[in-house]
Amino acid sequence: MGFAGHVTLAAFCQQVLVGLSRTTILFIVASGLSLVLGVLRIPNIAHGSLYMIGAFLTYSLVRLGGGGSAGFWMALLAAPLGVALLSFVVERGLLCRLYEREHLMLLLFTFALMLVFGDLVKMIWGADYRSFAEPPFLQGSVLIFGLPFPRYNLFLLAVGPLVAIGLYLLTNRTKIGKIARAAAVDREMVGAMGINVSWVFASVFVIGCFLAGLGGALVAPTQNITQGMDHAIIIEAFLIVIIGGLGNIWGALLGALIFGLTDAVGILIWPQFAIVFPYMAVVVVLVFCPKGLLKSIW
Amino acid sequence: MKRKSLIAICLAVGMAGLLCSPAAWARSIKVGIVDCYSGPPSTYTNDVRDAFKLVVDQVNAAGGVLGRKIEFFARDSKFKVDLGLAEAKELIMRKDVDIMMGTINSALALAISNLCKKEKVPFFVTFAKSAKITGAKGHRYVFSMNENTAMAGKAGAEGLAKRPYVKYWIAGDDYEYGHAIAGGVWSNLKTIKPGVKLLGQSWWKVGEPDFTPYITAILSAKPDAVIVATGGRDCVPFLKAAQATGFNRRVPFYMHTATELATLKPLGLQAPEGVIGTSNYYYYYPQTAANKAFVKSFKAAYGRNPAVGALYGYVAAKFMIRGFNKAGKIDTEKFIDALEGMRIDSPVGPLTLRAFDHQVMYPMFMGVTHKVPGMKYLMAADIVTLPGKDVMPAVAEIKKARAR
Amino acid sequence: MRFKSAGFAFAALAVLFLLPAVLPRYYLYLLSLVLVTGLLATSLNLVLGFGGIYQFHHAVFYGAGAYVFALMLMKTGLPAWLAYVSAPAAAALLSLLMGLICIRLSKLYFGMLQISLGSLVWVVVYRWYGFTGGDDGLQGIPVPGALSSTSGAYIFVLAVCLLCLALMYRIVNSPFGRIFQSIRDNPERSAAIGVDVRQHQLIGLVLAGAFAGVAGALFVTVEGSAFPEMLFWTLSLEILVMCLLGGWLTFWGPMLGAAIIVVLRTWVGIYTDYWTLILGVILMLLIYFLPDGVLGRARKKKTIENPVAGAGKV
Repeated sequence: MGFAGHVTLAAFCQQVLVGLSRTTILFIVASGLSLVLGVLRIPNIAHGSLYMIGAFLTYSLVRLGGGGSAGFWMALLAAPLGVALLSFVVERGLLCRLYEREHLMLLLFTFALMLVFGDLVKMIWGADYRSFAEPPFLQGSVLIFGLPFPRYNLFLLAVGPLVAIGLYLLTNRTKIGKIARAAAVDREMVGAMGINVSWVFASVFVIGCFLAGLGGALVAPTQNITQGMDHAIIIEAFLIVIIGGLGNIWGALLGALIFGLTDAVGILIWPQFAIVFPYMAVVVVLVFCPKGLLKSIW
Repeated sequence: MKRKSLIAICLAVGMAGLLCSPAAWARSIKVGIVDCYSGPPSTYTNDVRDAFKLVVDQVNAAGGVLGRKIEFFARDSKFKVDLGLAEAKELIMRKDVDIMMGTINSALALAISNLCKKEKVPFFVTFAKSAKITGAKGHRYVFSMNENTAMAGKAGAEGLAKRPYVKYWIAGDDYEYGHAIAGGVWSNLKTIKPGVKLLGQSWWKVGEPDFTPYITAILSAKPDAVIVATGGRDCVPFLKAAQATGFNRRVPFYMHTATELATLKPLGLQAPEGVIGTSNYYYYYPQTAANKAFVKSFKAAYGRNPAVGALYGYVAAKFMIRGFNKAGKIDTEKFIDALEGMRIDSPVGPLTLRAFDHQVMYPMFMGVTHKVPGMKYLMAADIVTLPGKDVMPAVAEIKKARAR
Repeated sequence: MRFKSAGFAFAALAVLFLLPAVLPRYYLYLLSLVLVTGLLATSLNLVLGFGGIYQFHHAVFYGAGAYVFALMLMKTGLPAWLAYVSAPAAAALLSLLMGLICIRLSKLYFGMLQISLGSLVWVVVYRWYGFTGGDDGLQGIPVPGALSSTSGAYIFVLAVCLLCLALMYRIVNSPFGRIFQSIRDNPERSAAIGVDVRQHQLIGLVLAGAFAGVAGALFVTVEGSAFPEMLFWTLSLEILVMCLLGGWLTFWGPMLGAAIIVVLRTWVGIYTDYWTLILGVILMLLIYFLPDGVLGRARKKKTIENPVAGAGKV
């Protein structure tokens, strides 16, 4: 009943691809979380809420745009920007006053934000689920290994590496990226060099939240957009960040790969307990490398 | 002097308030409703409450029941069992409701049924389809106003047995209802057609956001047909995923409630065709006078066609009203005695409440989804009717289940 | 002075035990929930406030105790008192196992690792539909007859809670408790004077887990059900909020915080759907203006020491 004996190579490869498309979303969200955690030392529990807001915003914008392809691209850009704007307001207005406080306070504050955002979403969009179709050119499926693979998942497979490359360029080749990495290690030194650390923090926070919104926007056409999306994604993102190494973006990629692939393969092999696979992988990693697989920033 | 007049004024206002207070009138009949009004299930549950309100408003305007008005309090359980149970306790212990009603979540319905048994409060189940409610866990204080998985299972099995499928896969929501409906369909199917084989099963969590990995896993097993056991939350999302992956074109599947309006309307023209489904209400079938009248009054009040939930709300209200009228007084035990074996008229014809298990004997309609020119959503075609008495579970079986 | 406060305490106890005679059932039920939640919050504060440990997933032990209790009653024919003892034992064992893995790390790492491991426990309970009831939880648990009525459950919960609170009070004020607090204030110095920091922390974690397990068993006694939500991380953070609200450097703070939150949640839930929003706003205001909690603020007037290092007295 549990184990499936019919798993063919084709099915397995197909399922790996499915897992990889899920990895894209997980990586984008987790990298944003890791960025904020690494530089600002804030475990941002509201990160999942921003992901959810990104999804809801995308829904509304796509509806406004009429459902066509142009509307979708516009929404894909505008929704994360909207989330980034919201996060900027929150950071400048509320969060930056708390940077000197203990970690626990910051964590609880972001928890408060999650609670507030959750109900605000319910107020604005209502308690009903929202759902919309993929843009016309990404609808339907292609046959890979003889099994249907949704076109939209192919799109996600392409987007993942693009974002990864973009992040690499951002953190290693741009000025803001290098300053941010320095501030993660030693914020006093950066301040002593005359750089406004406060604005560095604001920028990093906004970028991290933009990524959360982007993840939400990308996942929106594939699933139900509901309350509860925030709870589901944040625990997965945190686990990925922990096994990857706190603050390490490549760790986030590695963690997302482990998570997405174990989940997809688990469904193929043991559908009833598939969800246990990624969690078990997390435990195994943590027992052997309690600080994560890759070096954490701190 | 000023103080005395102040006290006098307060007393006067207080007296006036007391006279005008509801306590001066006869105590109303209180119904407590716990149901999920957030998220996907709300497309189903809103109809239950709205139809109930329609009937109650009509009756209240005509003088009420036994000279009392019916008032109801609705609480949102958000599809969570702990929240719903706490709300039920509040309604029973604090609001002193005479009757409890609800809910679409089978696990919560069973929990409230257990509570109502302890508190001796009649519980009218609307929408929760687990056969345990009136079957193995049935008791004197619980009534089911909708079909259950045993009935749907029998109907589904009858329809599937007529088709040439032999190798089956079962997939669905990993909770009470999912297992119950899958079990109901499968056990009946095996009885009618012993040659069928089960290749495997997939169970996902309720509210699963992404069905793609499960769908690909099922397709790679190459079954002849799939029995999909999704509940209120996942019916629509699963059908959406089926359309996106072309699942319905590659392998036929059966899903209870797939042909219902509440399921098909949100999907619009994106709903998959060729899905086999069972239901116990369509607003367009049968075209009897009673059904047409019901549709007309519902549409006039709420601006939309009634879906199956409306039937349950209507039936619940009718039974409650006639039950009290027949009992002659607001007495729980007499009310229950009056209800057993009672018959009412409904949009789907005359309905009887079976005395043994307090289950309404609904007919089942089986159909296949297909596009209709001019309509913005899909409808059921090739509809086959199975009369209520043919789909009810046998009393002997229930007795056996309860004895365990 | 002492006589007066003893007399006052005695009178308060008498009132509490006699409440079933006067209070309507619903409020007795609510009070039972307040006591259970208060016990849970106080058990968290054992390690959080007094130990300085970032216990981010305390709810796991609460849920573990509840499920062990419930499953023992439902699946085995063993007597109820055995179930009442097994619940804290199982929770303590789980706390020890998780503690052994997490204790190598400190502060934030500890907390996040605990959330990870706790989530694994949650996932297993949540998905093992055949055994734990999965998403639906366990219903209709056969609580022993005398305790299944509202007033019976209340008296039992009251008695057990008072006993546990007394025990915890003794622990905090014992030599062990003082060492524990000194580890919170300055772990390096404590280690330098020969204290085995790890061992003490582990003992503290096990004790906290055990009391949380008791709270879990009590919850099942009151409600007759167990739910996987009891193991979910959002509940853990809610308990943290209760400790913060009441004052996490005081003994009675968490109890007060729990009472406020449970009562508010029930009351607000009747009138509006947006309790989570209100809780979030309360938390924000708390962090900004009242970081020591209600009782902590009252205590602060007496001590001028650094709030992190001081307030060791209860």
